[in-house]
Amino acid sequence: MSIAATAPRYRSIVLSRSAIYGLLLALLALAWLTSMTLGYRLYTPGQVWAALFANDGTEAATVIAGLRLPRALIAPLAGAALGMAGTMVQTLSRNRIASPDTLGLNAGASLAVVVATIIFGVQSLVGLSLAAAFGALATAIVVFGVAAGAGGLSPLKIVLVGVTFASLAHAAVEILLTSNEAQLQQLLFWLSGAFVDRPISLFFNGLPVVLVGAAIGFALASSLDAAQADDSTAAGLGVPLAAVRGAAFVAVSLLTGAAVSMAGPVAFVGLVVPHVARRLVGLQHRHQLTAAALTGAIYTTLADVAARFVIYPVEAPVGAITAVVGAIALLVLLRRRLA
Amino acid sequence: MDDLAANRIEVKGLTMAYGGDVVLDALNLPIPAGRITVLAGPNGCGKSTLLRAIRRLHAPQSGQILLDTEDITRLGSKALGRRIGLLPQSPSAPLDMNVEELVRLGRYPHQAMLQPWSPQDDEAVSRAMAGTGVEAMRRRRIGSLSGGQLQRAWIAMVLAQDTDVICLDEPVNHLDMAHQLDCLELVARLNRDEGKTIVLVLHDLNLAARYADNLVFVANGRIREAGNPELLMRADLIAEVFNTDAHIITDPIHGRPMCIPFRKG
Repeated sequence: MSIAATAPRYRSIVLSRSAIYGLLLALLALAWLTSMTLGYRLYTPGQVWAALFANDGTEAATVIAGLRLPRALIAPLAGAALGMAGTMVQTLSRNRIASPDTLGLNAGASLAVVVATIIFGVQSLVGLSLAAAFGALATAIVVFGVAAGAGGLSPLKIVLVGVTFASLAHAAVEILLTSNEAQLQQLLFWLSGAFVDRPISLFFNGLPVVLVGAAIGFALASSLDAAQADDSTAAGLGVPLAAVRGAAFVAVSLLTGAAVSMAGPVAFVGLVVPHVARRLVGLQHRHQLTAAALTGAIYTTLADVAARFVIYPVEAPVGAITAVVGAIALLVLLRRRLA
Repeated sequence: MDDLAANRIEVKGLTMAYGGDVVLDALNLPIPAGRITVLAGPNGCGKSTLLRAIRRLHAPQSGQILLDTEDITRLGSKALGRRIGLLPQSPSAPLDMNVEELVRLGRYPHQAMLQPWSPQDDEAVSRAMAGTGVEAMRRRRIGSLSGGQLQRAWIAMVLAQDTDVICLDEPVNHLDMAHQLDCLELVARLNRDEGKTIVLVLHDLNLAARYADNLVFVANGRIREAGNPELLMRADLIAEVFNTDAHIITDPIHGRPMCIPFRKG
């Protein structure tokens, strides 16, 4: 009797979750098609198809394959990476307003890229990607080290230290840039946080890094589930907390670093996306991470489309759009928390 | 005593220190299998530290803890998690986690890294929720539960862990009288029906005397005395351990010793 009563209920949950994944995939496909067709010039899906699979050398085909396609690949990959990174950061810090931004990871990655270029003369894309990932990881270590040293990893303290570090990193970036005008143009392009005018090779550099970060995240899924409880409970369940935190920070740094190396610092994606993901699929990380990857990809792809139109015919930096959305979301979250 | 042959846990010469302060001092304690052992003592006596040491949350400075004659430091963290469960004092989880998601956390030590959820996991979760009466609220967010419901959900989580030994650190703190009784009756039933070895830290000495098979008085980082509550609930001993005068009577309902603390003059 009890089995009969619970079985359909269980199935309906499984179905609704796969329905959600189906819906998200459909939305992502739609967002991608929008990104390929809408812009300064409008193309039909037929032209997109022709440009991708039968490059006929027309001007349309050149624009679609050379300009539209890179951003339509980089935007969702960066969004997926930041969504997953944000999910893990929020779990690890037990703080729903934490994100790669509020922990200073984006700023740290930016600083590392600027230092690598100006001081060490790194020019290759692979080198810059590595620098970004290293910068994010180093920042994670510094921020958590300082917060822990200041007496316990309280969620608020982590964010305070992270925001402070982010301001410092931004200041350092500005100083380095103003005193090295030769590199200013080249780096400013990158530091603006955008998907436009990125070479497609950035996507192929970022993809394996994102895949490794995601693989670590999914391997840690059940440990992250248990780490949502307090430390004593998690340890009582047998979670090796230090190892799990260390591995998760490597994953977060890879994901954030890859996103920053592809698109520059795109603000607040990692803050907003995990909230949507949890609402959709609940608190198990297997699902949270999947939904965050999909939601993040949709979000950045659509934000990139919006960036083409807010000050049409000029392109707005996509980071400005995600910053506005993110700031509103942060205010709502803070209000709800304080209420 | 037949218990002597069946100690589930044996604490031997355990010394614990935090930054030079000795909290437990060469402490010895056998914990009988299938019984309820209650650790009691004044604030700061080391009873919580002892409980947490038994679950290996802190490394001892010296001494050892044997679980079924095996040193617990030899066990992996998940292996130990399959044998000793711990509900800490005031546990916490995200308020938007639902009851079923919380109870599922208890299955953590039974899962290998990439191995998916198994029918045994489902069964253990259902059984734990049924045993604690939280089935009907499985979809509710834990932030919406009352104190008593929340504590039952947490106990369900420890139960889903399916360990022989369950440690609970002050599980009835912050609960009103009725829910204190519900919670301890639930623990007593787990002990009776499923033969679980229970180690409890309790602040209320009368509840301790009522539910303990084996009462342990901890004072100044040592075991002052341990055994049947009938033997421990003496005015002189309570005065010494708890630093208060006490009058001992027999609880007219349960026939257990009861203490009425008072201050002279």
